[in-house]
Amino acid sequence: MNSAGSAFTNLSWVDLIFLGEAAIRTLQISIVSIFFGTVIGIILGWMLAAGNVFVRIAVSSILDVFRSVPLIIQLILFDSFVSIAGYPMPAFWSGTIVLSVYCAALVAMVARAGIEAVSPNLRRAARSLGMGYWQDLRYIVWPVGLRAVFPSWIGVALSVLKDSALVSAIGYLELMRASQILTTKTQESFKIMLLIGLFYFLMSYPISKAGEFVEKKWQS
Amino acid sequence: MDYQFLWPPVIKALPKLLDAALLTMQVSVISMIFGLSIGLLLSFGRRSKYFIPRTLSSIWVEIARNTPVLFQIFFCYWGLGEFGIFLSSFVAVVTALSFNTAGYMAETFRGGFNAIPDTQLNAARSLGMSFFQTQRYIIVPQVLRVIYYPMTNQFIWVILMSSLGMLAGLRELTGETQYFNSRTFRTFEFFAATAVIYYIIAKLVMLGARLLGWRLFRGQS
Amino acid sequence: MKSWSLIGAAATLAFGMSTLVAPAAADKLDDVLGSGKIRCAVVLDFPPMGYRDADNNPAGMDVEICKDLANAMGVEAEVVGVTWAERIPSLISGKTDVAIASSSDTLERAKTVGFSIPYMVFQFQALIPADSKISTWEDLKNAHVGAAIGTTYESSFTDYKAANWPDAPGKLSTYQSETETFMAVSQGRVDAVISTDTAIANVIASGKYGDLKAGPIAPFGADIVGFMTLRKEYGWINYLNLYINRANRSGRMQEIYSEYIGGDMPDLTSSGVYY
Repeated sequence: MNSAGSAFTNLSWVDLIFLGEAAIRTLQISIVSIFFGTVIGIILGWMLAAGNVFVRIAVSSILDVFRSVPLIIQLILFDSFVSIAGYPMPAFWSGTIVLSVYCAALVAMVARAGIEAVSPNLRRAARSLGMGYWQDLRYIVWPVGLRAVFPSWIGVALSVLKDSALVSAIGYLELMRASQILTTKTQESFKIMLLIGLFYFLMSYPISKAGEFVEKKWQS
Repeated sequence: MDYQFLWPPVIKALPKLLDAALLTMQVSVISMIFGLSIGLLLSFGRRSKYFIPRTLSSIWVEIARNTPVLFQIFFCYWGLGEFGIFLSSFVAVVTALSFNTAGYMAETFRGGFNAIPDTQLNAARSLGMSFFQTQRYIIVPQVLRVIYYPMTNQFIWVILMSSLGMLAGLRELTGETQYFNSRTFRTFEFFAATAVIYYIIAKLVMLGARLLGWRLFRGQS
Repeated sequence: MKSWSLIGAAATLAFGMSTLVAPAAADKLDDVLGSGKIRCAVVLDFPPMGYRDADNNPAGMDVEICKDLANAMGVEAEVVGVTWAERIPSLISGKTDVAIASSSDTLERAKTVGFSIPYMVFQFQALIPADSKISTWEDLKNAHVGAAIGTTYESSFTDYKAANWPDAPGKLSTYQSETETFMAVSQGRVDAVISTDTAIANVIASGKYGDLKAGPIAPFGADIVGFMTLRKEYGWINYLNLYINRANRSGRMQEIYSEYIGGDMPDLTSSGVYY
């Protein structure tokens, strides 16, 4: 079909570059959020496993909120809150903060399970060998716990990658929003959908398979 | 802070929001029922000795698990439209959530079945039980116990994901909130109220599941 | 127990946040001049007012006005693409300085944002398939109609339906963007969609959405649109008003209009009343 107005064009290589740039932004925001989320999540998981009863209840009930409210609402709410509080920030940062906290809430559960997976006998043995508390954490709990929960962590990381699509709702130009913009322009909704579906799949599938492989290898 | 919080519009809209929350629950329950049933079939499919059901089930599971839910919803709503398949917002969201849930539940079921040693199956069969009797009395009750809590979590997850219905024009809880937001521009107030409603729903579902689980599984250990 | 600790945590958080909050910033006009950049919220799926060209760069009448305003101020223009519903949140959240986004000057919006004097006028109209039997506005009574959420035509149509056709079986579906409504009518999801006359003329001319035609004009009256910014920014609103006035006096606005729409710029005054 011939286009009469300059406002409508067909999918071109310029559009593919546009999608590619957006895909890079999807990876950027995911990687940054997974990094911060994991660091914070491990600390929170340690508090959940080792803290006293008040710390545990406080931390777990706060984290519970982030797992009981849809991510899209967390994003919109945080974005509008920082604005009305007088600290507006670019969508990248409000998106990163919300995604990181969300990731941390999930990682905390994983980290706690990892710490609890290490048998108390093993830890007592380590302490009786003269290891301090931090040495025990570093040389006993970390390697043993990591093996137990590494696959779950992969699962969390991949879900953050996929959920980063929701940051489009606060205006960050990542892959999902870029695909909507191009659909608007070209009407090629099906082709664009296949492309971006393929992108997410190719990012997520190999990593999840690698996670399963590592899991099997460690278990045998 | 220059901003004046203004709650009366939210209070006025509250009955409508609660109605929309009912739609959220409808969408979630229907999606969960479809997702569970299809997920069970898929888990059988993946263990099948035939190539075609095994491959098809695997493809379904991997696509469902490795692409964003939002993508799945958009695909059902707009992507299928290009083939002349017009799903209404409601059907598109239910279809996408069922598709997604089936993929995740298939893996959960697989874990459940794997938790039961083959020796039990053989023992039951050697006692003269038929395949279906074995499934009914030996396997399913045990699998149900294993998957009960993952299933509850998945249900809460479906409720939260149904919020994406907003982006496909569905006026469920989040869609209705956006509608009022577009009228009153009280973004923070409306979404804060909605966050509280979701939190309460999630807690009630969790509580209900705990009570039911306690009734179902007590005395069996 | 759990809930108490939660309330405590929320209270601590709220207190912490409230002590962090700083006093109001400088005047918006100063901010824009100081940053050397004006950020305009423009809806980019609303050709010919806003769209993306072949290189995915923003284009259209609203985009051109933003650039012209930036030029007049001696700053750089940054066009931020928003959906209809995101226009006002983007101003409130400080992501943009002004919305040049074909925004109708409704009293409801004016409760939240401040409007400049008018810079464009539209008519609301229905867009229907070429073989549609809809010919008069009344025919929409029983039809399935689509409109983009957060637009004046969507809220006007909702109100109109409630007031005039309360028991009619007709239905309204809302969409996230203008293009989604065009796709909906071309795919046959809805019988008609409501939009503005200029956008409808453009869509039909493009031929991209199949065989569509312009339907009846909505009886809502002229749609007068202005720039939007924060309600309290009087200095900034005064500046914007003077810009619009001078751009019309100098003929620059007519030039932009000719480039993107064609013909004579509509009359921006309302007869029989002061602004």
